Amino acid sequence: MANYSTSQFKNGLKLMLDGNPCSIINNEIRKPGKGQASNKVKLKDLITGKTLEKTFKSGESVEGADVMELDMQYLYNDGSEWSFMDPDTFEQYMINDSSMDDVRGYLVEQDMCVVTLWNDNPISVTPPNHVILEVVDTDPGLKGDTAGTGGKPATMNTGVVVQVPLFISIGEKVKVDTRTNEYAGRS
Amino acid sequence: MNMQEDLKKYSNFLQKIRTFFNDKNVLEVQTPALLNAPATDVYIDSLRVDLNQEIDLEKTQYLHTSPELEMKKLLANGSGDIYQICSVFRDNEQGSQNTNEFTMLEYYRLNFDIHQLMNDIAQLLKTLGVDSQVTKLSYAQAFFEYGDIDILNTDFATLKVIAKAHGLSTDFEWIEDLQILLFTHLIEPKLQALSLCFIYDYPVMQSALARVEGQVAHRFELYMNGIEIANGYDELRHADEYKAIFEQETAKRTTLKKYTPDLNKDYLEAIQLSLPSCAGVAIGMGRLFSQID
Repeated sequence: MANYSTSQFKNGLKLMLDGNPCSIINNEIRKPGKGQASNKVKLKDLITGKTLEKTFKSGESVEGADVMELDMQYLYNDGSEWSFMDPDTFEQYMINDSSMDDVRGYLVEQDMCVVTLWNDNPISVTPPNHVILEVVDTDPGLKGDTAGTGGKPATMNTGVVVQVPLFISIGEKVKVDTRTNEYAGRS
Repeated sequence: MNMQEDLKKYSNFLQKIRTFFNDKNVLEVQTPALLNAPATDVYIDSLRVDLNQEIDLEKTQYLHTSPELEMKKLLANGSGDIYQICSVFRDNEQGSQNTNEFTMLEYYRLNFDIHQLMNDIAQLLKTLGVDSQVTKLSYAQAFFEYGDIDILNTDFATLKVIAKAHGLSTDFEWIEDLQILLFTHLIEPKLQALSLCFIYDYPVMQSALARVEGQVAHRFELYMNGIEIANGYDELRHADEYKAIFEQETAKRTTLKKYTPDLNKDYLEAIQLSLPSCAGVAIGMGRLFSQID
């Protein structure tokens, strides 16, 4: 994989650091009057999800990570592995159930999502920003409350719990923002 | 604020600075910006200008990165106290605080040491409406207080271990570059809490053109809310001292595969004479102006 010099650093660039692929989320350059410039870089470790900070001397180069983000269709999960398909090649990729903790509540069969591959192995899944989920459990709705002033927890068909307006009842389909876990309207 | 108010404000700022120097009998001067030789500083690059190409009188000159040497020629010739406000140019600048052209206020006071010059700058800032409390910390104190590091007595290998622990690069050829990186990333952020802070007495390896005494070089920098505003020296006085520094700097530039100035061009002429005992400082006008209000 190619090396990248600090002058090529930009948000979203994928680098190898301490053996893990990382993605740049912020790159700040500081050049003291008499001294050498340096790049203070904030990165997200794509394996652990942790944010880390590293400082490079300007001109230093770092190994790039072979990371690709592909649009794939979520097919099914069998309890131990989740299956995704690249609609262009029909190639299927499996991800271990334990890597799905953050997103399992937002994946609906047949939905398109973004699968991140590192050296051709899937390492993470990003669901669409909005998904349609079905309420499977919630307290009975209050008649007449259509303004949605209050809220109550509701369990969705995928297991995730979302705060919904009081008028939502079991069996309804709602739109959920997967980035904030917030109710985004009736479907 | 509209543009006209901005212009008036900046004009007023210039006026106050000129009045300040005028009242102290510091003479305003102008020196050439187009020089025959580029800067020697290891990490400051001159902009090259290829002239007269259409009239067969081709020559290469360089825009000044600071009016320092030209002003020192004046000092060596008996100008007395002088100041200059001018545009300076630097190549390969990067970062949100840096630009390839900026306005510099450079001034020299005879028979001042750095502490007198720091007080003088505090007075200048007061006339510009900056009345905040002044903090003065030696470079070593700043490292002790904010980084728990004995910077003057810690060797290169140990500093690398410290840098690594902080997620900082350790890929350095010279200890001074690592000291600067540690200062930038460990100490500078702490200076944001101080509205006006002078850091003085730098490690000898960072002496640049400042007079060395024992373990330190009598240099200072001014930080306002963590932003580097000014850089001042108790100036070296003798030609052989300048020659030694220029040679060190050009040797480092050679190692780094950067252009290396021909020292015989302007430099030796500049330093033929001895400078009077003086302290001088360069202040970034844009940065200073943005800190005022």
